[in-house]
Amino acid sequence: MNAVVQRARHPQLRDYIHSAVSGLLPFIQKGLVERVAVIFFNVDNIPIERFIFKLAVNQSYDSKVEEAALEFSLRSFLIKLPVSETLTKALPRDCRWEITAYFHSLPDASRSKDAEVWIPTDTKQWQTPPVISPIKSMTTEPLCLQLYLEHPSSSEPNS
Amino acid sequence: MSLNSSRSANSGERSKRSLNSTSSNPSNNSGKKRKTGNQKTLGMAWGSNSRSSSRSSFRNSPFSDFGSYMVEKNRKLQNQFDAGASSSSHSALSSGKPIFHGVSVFVDGFTIPSSQELRGYMMRHGGHFENYFSRHRVTHIICSNLPDSKIKNLRSFSGGLPVVKPTWVLDSVAANKLLSWIPYQLDQLANETRNQPKLSAFFALKSIPVFEDAVTHTTYPLVPETEDSVFKGGTSKDAVSSEGGQYLEYTRQSSGEIDDHQCENTNETIIEKPFSNDEKSSEIKMEEQSFSNQEEECSIKNELQSSPHRPSASVSSYYLDNARKESSSTTVVGCSNKGHSTLEDPNFVENYFKYSRLHFIGTWRNRYQKRFPRLSNEFKHTSSDLNASGVSQKNVIIHMDMDCFFVSVVIRNNPELQDKPVAVCHSNNPKGTAEISSANYPARDYGVKAGIFVRDAKALCPHLVIFPYNFEAYEEVADQFYNILHKHCNKVQAVSCDEAFLEVMDSKEGDPELLASIIRKEIFETTGCTASAGIAGNLLMARLATRSAKPNGQCYIPVDKVDDYLHQLPIKALPGIGHVLEEKLRRRKVHTCGQLRMISKESLQRDFGTKTGDMLWNYCRGVDNRVVGVIQESKSIGAEVNWGVRFNDLKDSRHFLVNLCKEVTLRLKGCGVQGRTFTLKMKKRRKDAGEPAKYMGCGDCENLSHSMTVPLATDDVDVIQRIATQLFGFFHIDVKDIRGIGLQVSRLENADTAKQGHQRISIRSWLTSAPATNEELCKTSCLVRKERAVADGEKQSTDISLGQLSNDSKRPSLQMSPSSSNNEAPLNQVSELPALCDLDMGVLESLPPELLSEINDMYAGKLSDFIRKRKGKNENVSGTMCTTSYEIYEGAINNGKQLHCSIVPIRKTPVENKVEKTLDREIATENSLLQSSEVEKVKQYKIDEIQEVSVSGAVSLNVVDPASALEKSDLMPSSLSQVDISVLQQLPKEMWVDILEQLPVHRKPEHSSSAALDPLIANAQESLCFKHTENNSKSVDSVLGNNLWIGNPPQWVDKFKVSNCLLLNILAEMYYRSGSTGCLSSILQCTLSKFLLPLDASSDGWDETISSLCDLLKQYIKIKIESDIEEIYVCFRLLKRFTMKSKLFLEAYNVVFPYLQASAGENYGGSLQLSHAKE
Repeated sequence: MNAVVQRARHPQLRDYIHSAVSGLLPFIQKGLVERVAVIFFNVDNIPIERFIFKLAVNQSYDSKVEEAALEFSLRSFLIKLPVSETLTKALPRDCRWEITAYFHSLPDASRSKDAEVWIPTDTKQWQTPPVISPIKSMTTEPLCLQLYLEHPSSSEPNS
Repeated sequence: MSLNSSRSANSGERSKRSLNSTSSNPSNNSGKKRKTGNQKTLGMAWGSNSRSSSRSSFRNSPFSDFGSYMVEKNRKLQNQFDAGASSSSHSALSSGKPIFHGVSVFVDGFTIPSSQELRGYMMRHGGHFENYFSRHRVTHIICSNLPDSKIKNLRSFSGGLPVVKPTWVLDSVAANKLLSWIPYQLDQLANETRNQPKLSAFFALKSIPVFEDAVTHTTYPLVPETEDSVFKGGTSKDAVSSEGGQYLEYTRQSSGEIDDHQCENTNETIIEKPFSNDEKSSEIKMEEQSFSNQEEECSIKNELQSSPHRPSASVSSYYLDNARKESSSTTVVGCSNKGHSTLEDPNFVENYFKYSRLHFIGTWRNRYQKRFPRLSNEFKHTSSDLNASGVSQKNVIIHMDMDCFFVSVVIRNNPELQDKPVAVCHSNNPKGTAEISSANYPARDYGVKAGIFVRDAKALCPHLVIFPYNFEAYEEVADQFYNILHKHCNKVQAVSCDEAFLEVMDSKEGDPELLASIIRKEIFETTGCTASAGIAGNLLMARLATRSAKPNGQCYIPVDKVDDYLHQLPIKALPGIGHVLEEKLRRRKVHTCGQLRMISKESLQRDFGTKTGDMLWNYCRGVDNRVVGVIQESKSIGAEVNWGVRFNDLKDSRHFLVNLCKEVTLRLKGCGVQGRTFTLKMKKRRKDAGEPAKYMGCGDCENLSHSMTVPLATDDVDVIQRIATQLFGFFHIDVKDIRGIGLQVSRLENADTAKQGHQRISIRSWLTSAPATNEELCKTSCLVRKERAVADGEKQSTDISLGQLSNDSKRPSLQMSPSSSNNEAPLNQVSELPALCDLDMGVLESLPPELLSEINDMYAGKLSDFIRKRKGKNENVSGTMCTTSYEIYEGAINNGKQLHCSIVPIRKTPVENKVEKTLDREIATENSLLQSSEVEKVKQYKIDEIQEVSVSGAVSLNVVDPASALEKSDLMPSSLSQVDISVLQQLPKEMWVDILEQLPVHRKPEHSSSAALDPLIANAQESLCFKHTENNSKSVDSVLGNNLWIGNPPQWVDKFKVSNCLLLNILAEMYYRSGSTGCLSSILQCTLSKFLLPLDASSDGWDETISSLCDLLKQYIKIKIESDIEEIYVCFRLLKRFTMKSKLFLEAYNVVFPYLQASAGENYGGSLQLSHAKE
C-alpha cells in the first residue's frame, strides 16, 4: 500500500490482532459486520474509549473494483489514523483493550467453522449515548468505511 | 501492506539489535557526533516518527544523545543494506550489472514505487540507499512531489543535489544502464527552471558563448540515450518535456553557481519576469519609462506590439526590455528632473498617465475600433449570414501594415531622407543612452534596430539621422490610413494605429490583390508613406504574408501554397511564439513550422498547456479560425505604477491610492465596462535591497497581491476607492517599502445594461431637480391634455399628450409605444413601476380623471387608495368592486380639489383572478409603504411614473406575471392593523381572504375592536390554518426531497445566485471557486478564507436567508450523514467558526444543530462532538 504503519512488536499481540482481523474477513465479505470496534477499558472493565470502524460493503457491486481508487482511499485512511491522536484522551494506567465486532445478525456457530472463533462479549455499555468525534470517512465502491471515536458523554455516571 | 509490515518487522529487529551491539563500542561515536548532529533528517522516515520511542530507549542505553544514536543506526542500516545487496546480487545474477554504482539515493516522501521497492532496486543494481539524508553520502534525492516550502528553498533542502523522479530508477533498470537524471528532474523544479533560466541561457549565449558550447556538448550525447529508454519505459513526455528545463538547470548550475554576482543579476530580472505575462503591466512599464524620459525608454514598436493580439510579442518585447535594463543597470543614471516621485508631486498618478504619450498611442487601437461601431455591427450580421448561406464563398483577408510607421511619417515631407538611415528616438542627447524606437529600412541594413541605444546605433551607422516623435503627424496619418481602409472595405479590424485587417469577399470585390494594390497606392498618395499588404485566407497567413511583402510590397498566399510557405518558415515568425516559446522549441530541435508539424497535438498540449499547444498545432498548419472584426474583449483593466513610487507615511499612500483608483475608474469608463474583482498589486522593496540603480525605479522587489470580489460589478470611483483601501489594509507593510502599486479590475461586465438604469436615474434626477417653473409647465400642459383627453376619451391621446409633456419639458421622451403594441408591452413593467410613496401628490391631483384612473390601474387600484390615505380623509372614499370585472374607484380628496376616478374597464382574461390577487396584495402593500413615506420623497418619481404609463399603457395589467405576484407577497404590511378595514370590506370576499392569507400569523390584528372585522378574522384564521399546514408540509417536503443538492451544479447554487442576499450569493460563487466539487466543507473553507468582512451587513430578507441556509444544511446532512460523517463534522466545525463572526450563521447553526445531533444519534447512536476540551 506504500504507506507507513505502526505494528505491534509482541508476537502474541500481533497474532491476536491478525487472527481477529482475518477471522472477521469472511463475515465482512458476507456483509454481516456492521461495526468493528477497538474498545479500551479501564480497570473496572468500563469502556472509556472506542474506535469504531463502521463498515458498509456494497454486496451488489460486481463491476470491476477500481483498485487504484480504493488504494488511494485506504491510504488516506492510514495516514489520517496516526494523526488522530489529538482527539484522544490520555488513558489511565492498567487499561486493556479488545476488538469487538458488531454484527447485523449473529452468525450460526454450528453452520460455519469460522464463527467458532468468536465468542459473544459481555462488554458493559454506556448508559447514555456517547459523544462522537469523526476521524475519517471514505466511500469508494464497493466499500464505505467510516472511522470515528466514541467517548462517554459528560452526563455518563462515573462508576 | 505486506511490504510495510515486513519493513516494520525489520525495524523492530534492527533497533533491538543495534541496542545490543552498540553498547560494546560507545566511545567510537563521540568523534562523529558533531558532524552527524548536523545531519538533516528529512522526510518521513520511520525513525523520526518513532523518535519518542527511541528517546525512551536510549534513556537507559549507552548513547549520550540522539546524534550518536543516529550515527550508529545509520551504520547498522548501511551494514544491513550491504548484506542485503550482496545476497540479492548473488541470487539474481541476471540483473547483476551494477548500473547504479556510485549512486546513493535518498527517498523523500511518498513515491510510486514505494521507497522500499526503490531500495530493492538500488540493492540489486549496485547502488546505495540512504534512510537519512546526508549531504555527503547522498548523490540523488528521489521524490514525486515537494511541498512549496522546499521548492522555494530548494538549495537548503537538497544541498544542490539533483532531485529526481522515481521513474529515473525504473527506466535506468529497464534500460540496464545509468541514464542521465536530467530528463527526470522533478516537474515542479523543471517548470520552475523553465520559467526562470531563460535569462541564464541568455547569459550563456551572450556573454559566455564558449561555455554554452561546452554545455551543449556535454548534454548532447545524453539525448539519444534518453529517448531510447523513453520508448522502453513509456515515459517519453517526462523525458522530453523536462529536457529543456533540465538543460538550463544544468547551465545554471555550472555557470550561475560559480558566479554569485551573476546569479543575483538573473534573480533581479527573473523577479520582474512574471509581469511580462501581464500585458497591461508591461505596457505600463513602458509608459513609465517614456514618462521618465530616461535612457531606459523602450521603443514604440514594442509598445504597439503589446496590443492584445500579440501576447507573445509583448512578452518578447518585455524580455528585451529586461535585457536592456540588465545591461544598463551598470550605468549610473542621474536625473535632474523634479517632481518625478510620488513624494514631490501630489498629482503624480494623473501626470504620470497624462504625459505618457505612448500610452496614448497604445489606446489608438480602441479608438479606431470604436470609430465605426455601427458599421461593425452590420458586418457581424452579414458575416453570420454568409456563414450560414455558404461556406464555399471564401473570404480573403488583407493585412495592411504601414512600413516603419514612426519613421516614415516623420520623414514623409523630407524626400531627401527617404533613402538615408533614419531612426526615431525621444531624445538625441549626446550621451546616446536613449533607445531607438523605430528605424527605417536603410538604417536596418546597418543593423540598427528598435530598442538599441542611440550610441550603439551611431556606432553601427555613423550618419544615422535621429528624429523625435511627432505625435500630431502620427495621429493625422493614422486617421488618413483608416479612412482609406474604410473607404475600400467595410470590414476593418484595427490592430494598432498603423496596422489593420480587412476582410473582402473573393468574388464580389474582384481580385483581392488588385484591391490591395489600389489601397496601397492610395495610402501612398494620401499620406506619403508606404504600406505593405499580405493577402491570404485567414488572419494568420495574411500577417505572415505581410512579412514577406515588406517593405512596400504585397504578397498573396493562396490556400494551396500555405503548406509550402510554412514548411521552411522559422517558428519565430509565427505570431504568438516569442523568445520563451522559441527557446523551448529550439531545445526540442524544432526550428521550422515543418518540424513543428511532426509533433502531435496531444504532446504539444501537454508540454505547453492546452491553449498554447492548440495554437502551435494550428498555426504551424496555417489554421486560424479568428474572424475579422471580432474585438477581443479585454479581460481586465487596470493601472500600475512602478516608477517613482515613494511614500513617507500612510497618508501619502492613501492619497496615491485614491488617485490610482480615479485613473482606473476612468479607464473602466473609457472601455464602457464595470468589474467585479479587484486586485491590488504591490511591489515591496526587499529587505536587503538598496536604492535601485535606475533613478526612482522599483529595484529589487517582492510582488504581493490581494484581491476581492464584489457581487455587483461597479465602476464607481467611491466604491473602488473603498475596496482598494480595504485591500491595501490587507498588506500590512511599511509604506516606505512600497515601490509600486497596481490596481487591476477583472470579471468585467458590459456597462450597457447598467446604463439603461442610469438613463432612467438621470431623468429622475432631472425630475427631482426640476425647478418650480417646470412644475408649472407640467401643470399647464396637464390642463391642455385634460381638454384633449376629454375630447378624445381615448387612451392614445393621453399617451401622446404625455409624450408632449416630456417634449415640452425639453427632455427626450421615452419611447412611445402605440396602444396596439401594448399587448406585448414588457411583462415586467408592472414591477418596474415606481413605488407609490414616490409619487408626487401635486401632479397626481392635477391629472385628468381618465389618466389618473389609468395610473390607478397600473397600480392595481391602490393609487386612489393611496391618494385618499395621503389626505387622511377616507370618509368620501367608496371603492366598490364588481365581479362583473368592472372596477370602480372613486377617490375623493378634500384638499380643495375633488378628483373623481371614473370607471375603468378591466379586461376579463383568464388571468383575471391572479390580477385581482396582485391587486389586493398591493393594496395592502400600499398601506405599509405609506407608513414610511415622506412627503419630500413622494414628489420625485411622479413624472417618471407618468412616462411609464405612456410606455406601457393600461393593458399591461392584463399580463401580470404570476411570479411577480408571488414576489410581491413580502411587501405585505406588517400588521393587519395597518390595513384599511373599510377598503377590505368593500372587496369581494375571496379577495380579502386572500389578503389575510398573506399575512403571517404573528401579524394578526392586535385590536379587533371593529365589529366588522370580527367575522373577517374568523374567516381569515381558518384560511390561515389551511395555508400553514400547507406551508409546513411543503417545508417538510423540501427537507426530505433533497432537491437542493441534486444536479451539477446542485440546484441551490443557482437558487442562491439569484437570491438578493449577499451572503447566499457569496456561497453560490464559492461553489465555483472551490472547484465545483460539491463538497460543502470546501465551499465553506473557501468562503472563510476569502471573506473576512462581516457577512451579515444586510438585514433584509433575514428570515428568508436563514431558512434557505437551514434547508441547505439539513439536506446536506441527510445526504451525507450515513456515508460521510467526517464531511459533516468538518462542515459544522467550519460553521462554528462562522458563527463567531456572523449572527446570521449563528442563528442558522442553532436551528440546524438539533437536527444534526438527531440524525447523528439515529445513525450512530451518539451525538457529535463539535468542540474539544483541548481547544
